[in-house]
Amino acid sequence: MIGWLDVPRNWLDSFGEIVRFGAQVAGQVYSGRVFKFFGESLRQAGILIFGSALIIWAFVFIIGLQCGLQGAYFNRSVGAPSLAGLFSAYCGLREALPYAFGYILSAKVGTGIVAEIGAMRISDEIDALEVMGIQPVTFLAATRLLGAWIAIPFLYLVGIGIVYLAAYLAVVKQVGDVSSGGYLLIFWMYQSPPDVVFSLIKGMVMATAIVLVGCYYGYTASGGPVGVGTATAQSMVVNIILVHIIGMLGTIVFWGSNPRAPIGG
Amino acid sequence: MFVETGEMVILTAKTIVSAIRGPYPYGEELVWQFLFVLKLSWFPLTISTFALNLGAPGLQAAGVLSLFGALDRLGGFFIVTAVRWIGPLVTAVVVAGVAGTAITADLGARKIREELDALQVLGVDPIKNLVVPRFLALMIVTSLLDIFAIVFGLTAGIAAELLYHQSLGGFFATLFSNATVTDIWASVLMCTMFGAIIAIVCSYKGMSASGGAAGVGRAVNQAVVIALVAVFFFQFVVTSILLATNPDLQAIR
Repeated sequence: MIGWLDVPRNWLDSFGEIVRFGAQVAGQVYSGRVFKFFGESLRQAGILIFGSALIIWAFVFIIGLQCGLQGAYFNRSVGAPSLAGLFSAYCGLREALPYAFGYILSAKVGTGIVAEIGAMRISDEIDALEVMGIQPVTFLAATRLLGAWIAIPFLYLVGIGIVYLAAYLAVVKQVGDVSSGGYLLIFWMYQSPPDVVFSLIKGMVMATAIVLVGCYYGYTASGGPVGVGTATAQSMVVNIILVHIIGMLGTIVFWGSNPRAPIGG
Repeated sequence: MFVETGEMVILTAKTIVSAIRGPYPYGEELVWQFLFVLKLSWFPLTISTFALNLGAPGLQAAGVLSLFGALDRLGGFFIVTAVRWIGPLVTAVVVAGVAGTAITADLGARKIREELDALQVLGVDPIKNLVVPRFLALMIVTSLLDIFAIVFGLTAGIAAELLYHQSLGGFFATLFSNATVTDIWASVLMCTMFGAIIAIVCSYKGMSASGGAAGVGRAVNQAVVIALVAVFFFQFVVTSILLATNPDLQAIR
């Protein structure tokens, strides 16, 4: 039976280890040592796209629908139904999309990496790699990080389009308080190219953290088949907290002092 | 995919039937699971709801509202976000990610070690003794955690107001005049259903894990993805129906 304070204590404990491991992996990528295995990185990017893209976009679509729905009804309740586009633009682009992306990435990609690398660790394949003279951290973790950096920006940008489409469907077609033109006018007015870049940065930081956490828990898994399951479950705890903290810090840094709204002078 | 959905529905029906029909041997396990989920979830839930509510509805909305000079309306906005949307959402994400994965890992490990088969040979029904307590415990604990999520969400709203050097009177005035009993009940009941969905998906995936070391990890991976997608879609449907059928939630106050 676990105690009341075990979760925060474990979190703090493993957080330091994860930072050290993550710095090591990122160092492998920046120093260019990972390019020895560039083919493997491309393969990991391909796995990411073919294995996870559809589920990520489906999830993001649902979030977009919710954004539109909540925004349409909230704007009706304050007597400004034609301003539903404001809510969808802010909610969709700035907040809900990064969070939804973080959730589904930690659920699909993060735990997937833990399960995969953890199984390799349990069946001693990582030791075998080391014996063969291949650095396991470079070959397993750094290639995945590079693969994620190659593939995820594009997944994210397509996700933005999908959120926009879903919010449009919910506001204009489902609730129907505002005409298509009226919605789109406000919707495009309340966002600017820097917002997209900021949102992308937020998503990419989350993705990097999730991949590193996944690699760490997979790499350090122990204790047989049960250990892989436990490590997978633990990685989700860390991922959820990290996603929320990164999301909050991103909002404070990018929009905290300046809402970037086309109102006033 | 359709086969799995069907089997999950069958598992739900079996779970409900064996929860109602006696004997009731699962009392001790129910309390144990309840405490287990609570101890796992309280810390991620607190941090997550506070961070999400401070960033998303707090600072973003306060930024726009301060341009209008209407920061006191943030209270009304928090009813929409913290109570109706983000409270249940974050609770579901945390419970699915923290407790659901633990349940799948636990049951999957038992399945791999053939403990579930051993239980059946001993004449112990795994659904009644393992799934039912988790199902009930998650339903109860998710709805209770939702209240914590709302409380910490509103705390984050207060923090956002204070960051903008605003007095809290306006916040509380619009908060309480916009709060309705329907909203709170809907939020809590929604979370009860979330708990049921998460428990069934995670138990099913754990009990059907196969394939050695990689199998349990893969089961956890699939369970948390299916649980999240199912919960979010369910929330969209429920919110649509709730808001469309309760015009009193949309009155201007």
